[in-house]
Formats: sequence, structure tokens, C-alpha cells
Amino acid sequence: MIATAVRRRSRLARRGRWLHAVLIPLAVLWMVPVIMVIGLSLMPSSNPETTLFGILPAQPSFSNYVIVWQQNPILLHAANSLLIAVPSVAIVIVVGSMAAFALARLRVPLRGLIFGTLILALVLPMSGIVVATFKILQALGLYNSLLGLVLAYSALGLPFAIIIIRTSFLAIPYETYEAAVTDGANAWQIFWRVYFPLARPALAVVVIWQVMMSWNDFLLPLVTLSSNELKPLTLVPLAYRGIFLSQPGALFAVLVLISIPVVAVFLLVQRYLVNGLAGAIK
Amino acid sequence: MRTKLRQNITGLLFLLPAVVLFAVFVVYPIVYNMQASTLDWDGVNAGTFVGFDNYVKLFQDPTFLIALRNSAYWIPLTIIPQALIGFLLALALNRGLFASTVYRAIFFIPAILSPVVVGIVWQRIMDPFNGVFTSVGKATGLDWLGGNFLANPQTAIFAVIFVNIWMWTGFSMLFYLAGLQLIDTSVLEAAKIDGAGPLQTTARIIFPLLKSTHLSLLLLGIIGSLKTFELVYVLTQGGPAHASEMLPTYAFQQAFQLQSVGYASTISVVLIVIAVASSLSMVRVFGAGFISGDEK
Repeated sequence: MIATAVRRRSRLARRGRWLHAVLIPLAVLWMVPVIMVIGLSLMPSSNPETTLFGILPAQPSFSNYVIVWQQNPILLHAANSLLIAVPSVAIVIVVGSMAAFALARLRVPLRGLIFGTLILALVLPMSGIVVATFKILQALGLYNSLLGLVLAYSALGLPFAIIIIRTSFLAIPYETYEAAVTDGANAWQIFWRVYFPLARPALAVVVIWQVMMSWNDFLLPLVTLSSNELKPLTLVPLAYRGIFLSQPGALFAVLVLISIPVVAVFLLVQRYLVNGLAGAIK
Repeated sequence: MRTKLRQNITGLLFLLPAVVLFAVFVVYPIVYNMQASTLDWDGVNAGTFVGFDNYVKLFQDPTFLIALRNSAYWIPLTIIPQALIGFLLALALNRGLFASTVYRAIFFIPAILSPVVVGIVWQRIMDPFNGVFTSVGKATGLDWLGGNFLANPQTAIFAVIFVNIWMWTGFSMLFYLAGLQLIDTSVLEAAKIDGAGPLQTTARIIFPLLKSTHLSLLLLGIIGSLKTFELVYVLTQGGPAHASEMLPTYAFQQAFQLQSVGYASTISVVLIVIAVASSLSMVRVFGAGFISGDEK
């Protein structure tokens, strides 16, 4: 049975071989901006000549990375980015799956109202509430603090997380829940030991989504952080715009540094992504 | 009765952290915006109550109308190409093709890059002096490629839309790959036995079976379009002369550059109303199942 399926699949794959003739050029074209970011990060300011339609430097060198290292406290900015992204991912994962568990398996009053608010929060544009968020953080004494950003990103990421994780919890047979109750497990134990580990593909989707939001965003830091030493990596190109005008290569080196961690996270969770999403849109 | 109460309390305790975060950072900002939208306020000194004046002013504001028109361009011009290319890519990559994981990663990576990165590199690509388009234009004789697309009010918004398509097509592809996994292969085999060709199977069976994927992407696309801020901000700052302005960039400019916080809140309220109304009407028309995951 499996053998025939595998054979069928490989036959299908062989029949689709002509697709490479379309996919390879398309993929190369698609990658041009990415290759260019890496390419131009190797373009020394002493020789801004480029080849291959301006995509690659004529005389590549690593000097920009040295410049970036010496010119800005780049490690500090990277640490700030981490201090924003990691806690907000952790909060969204834990708080989001707790809420998802309650909505999937526990008795909750006002369920409709909670769902309404969830959908409202899902469609809420961050830029639409940025002024208010700015004022709230000021009132809470969290203006110019990374904690304020962490909490704001967590709140904004929760609706998506709850919806996706809840769907994957619903896919776990109800009998599992009943069996655990009969065995005397309490709600927290059932959640933490049984449900949470089973939601791994959905959690992968949530992780990448939340990393994309908290690591990549620059709008909230732009308006809620005033000290330079608190700024995350994404603000470096904007904050030092003037300096980078004469050093485009160094600018692109910073862009590479911004991108490496997100790409790394993506490659780590990639194999779960399709399954996680498949569970979510069923 | 007692146990019911206790169960309710357990449920609420699980929800509590999420509810608190929501109340502070989602519900309160909305209320705050509504209140601020009735003020003439610079954000620092005490505001004066002006009733609905800001709304009256907004609907006569030519920049607001440009932003609305740009959203009207943005929604179909991003959603349709992204869905179409994403669907075709998903079809091609769903059949265990050699190196299909590599292709998936390549097409998805733009979506995970920061808009700062995407914006800056595309500025360079479209740069009329040392950009890629210009160089290709010179080499091929297609001189129009050397145009300054981002600085030309006629083309600025379309240039940004173009970049947005590049950025988010991989996301649609991933959604369609997920949707394709859920299609029962026996349906496809039955179609084959009945003599349906591959084109027919795709158009008549696969495409309709992906209904909830189409709808999720449509909803996310509309919300995403209305939310668009970062890419526009980095590429054009809404310029030249507001030509590529979107509601979020305009609100941002009013609040943080022109210090009209009251007016900016008015723009935000209108934005939230449009976003909520369009998603609610979609949920109403198509059923909420595709969001909540419940049986339809």
C-alpha cells in the first residue's frame, strides 16, 4: 500500500520534471533582491562599482561588517531586538495556548463576546492604535522601555495565536480529555502535559508569525523608544540614515544582520509550517 | 451548581492573562481613539472638544480621499496576483518535486524579511541612477525601465504594490500548500477514473475545494492592505505629495509629524471601522467557520 503510494508519488514527480524549467528561472528572479542585499553588503565604500546590473559589487570585501561593528553598538541593538522578540514569543505561546485551551475544552462564560473581541483584535491595525498605545505606555510608566513593547506585541499577536492553537486543540479527540479527567488530572495538568505538546505544528506557525511581528516591526519602537541605547536592530538603518548615505555597503551589512535571525528561525520551524497551517484552516 | 461555578472559574483563570492584555492594549486603545477623535488636540496640551468636526473635515480632506483610492487599488492588485501565483506555485510544489522544500523556502523568505530590509533594497533596485531596473533597461533597450517609479506620483503607489506582491506571494503559496494537503486524494482519483484531465481537475475540483483557503487569504489580504504601513513608510513615506498615502501612513504623519493627535485618531477610528466592517461582513456572508475552525 505504502510502496504503491511512494511509487505513484515518484512517478508524479518524474512527470513534473519539466516544471523545473519554469521554477528555476522564477526562483532566481525571486531571489534577486535577497542576493542583492548580501551582495551590496560586501561593497566597500572605497569602490562602489557594481557588476551584474548593479546586483553584485565589483570588488567584494568584508570591510563593511568591520565598519558596522566599530561604528554602532550593533551588539547592543541586537540584544534589544532579542529582548523584545524572545519574551513576546514566550508570552504569546503560553498565554495564547492557555486561552485556546479554555475556549476549546473548558466551560467559559461569555464565549461569544470573547470571540468577538478576538476577531476585532485580529483586524485591528497596529498603526490605528499606535497613538493610544503610546499614551497608555506613558501612563503605565512603560514609555521608553522594552517591557512595554513586549506587552504590546504580545497582545497584538494573541488573537492569531489563539485561533490557530484552538483549532489544533479541537482536533485532539475529546475522549483524551475525558480519560485524563477520569484519571484524576486537573485542568492545568491536562493542558500542560497532554494538549500543549500535541499542538507543536500550530505552535511553529505562531512562533514564526510572532517573530515576524516583534523582530521585524519598527513602528512601535519608533514612537515609544527615545533612548538610542534601547533601539532594536530595525531602527538602526532609520536612526543612522545620514551616516549610511555615504556608506551604502554598511547599510546593507546591517540589513543582512537584521535578516539572519528571522531566516534562521524560519529554517528551524519550516518543516512544521505547512502542517500547522493545514490544521488551522481546515 | 457549585461544580459549575468552579468550572467557570477554572476557565476564566486560563483566559485571564489574555483578557488583561487585550483589555489594556486592544480594547482600551479603541475607546481612547474614539474619545480623542472628538478633540482638537496636539497630544501635549489639553484638547478642546469639537464634536464631529474632525470627521466632517476628514471627509472633505483630499489626502484622505487619495488614501481611500489607494486602498481601493491596493486590495485587488495585491490579493489577486498573490493568490494566483501562490496557487500555481503550490500546485507545482505539492507533488514531491525534487528540491521542492528549497523552492518553498525561496518563495517564502521575502515574507519573513523586515519591511525595512525589503524597502531599502527595492529602493536601490528601482533607483534611476544605479538601480537594477535602469541597468537592465540600458542593456535591453527598454528605456522606460529607467523611470523613477517611486518618485513619480503617477506610478508611486503601483511600485509599492509591486514590491508588496513580491513580498507576500510566498505566504499565499504556503496557505495553498496547507489547503492542498486537506484534499482527499480519493476524490482526485475518482475524477481521473471518470476521465477528467489535469486542467479540468484543477479548475473544477481542486479550485472549488480550496474555498476556505481562498476566503482566509481574502480576509487576511483585506486586513493586511488596510494595515499597510511599514512598506509604504520605508519606500515613499506616502509621497510624493501624498500620492502613495495609505490611511495608516496618513494617521502617523498627522500624529507624529504634524502633532494633530485628535485628527490622527479620527483617521484611525475610520480605519478600524472599515477593517471591522469588511471582516464582519465577510464572516457574515461566508460563515465564521473559516476563522474559528468550527464545523460549517
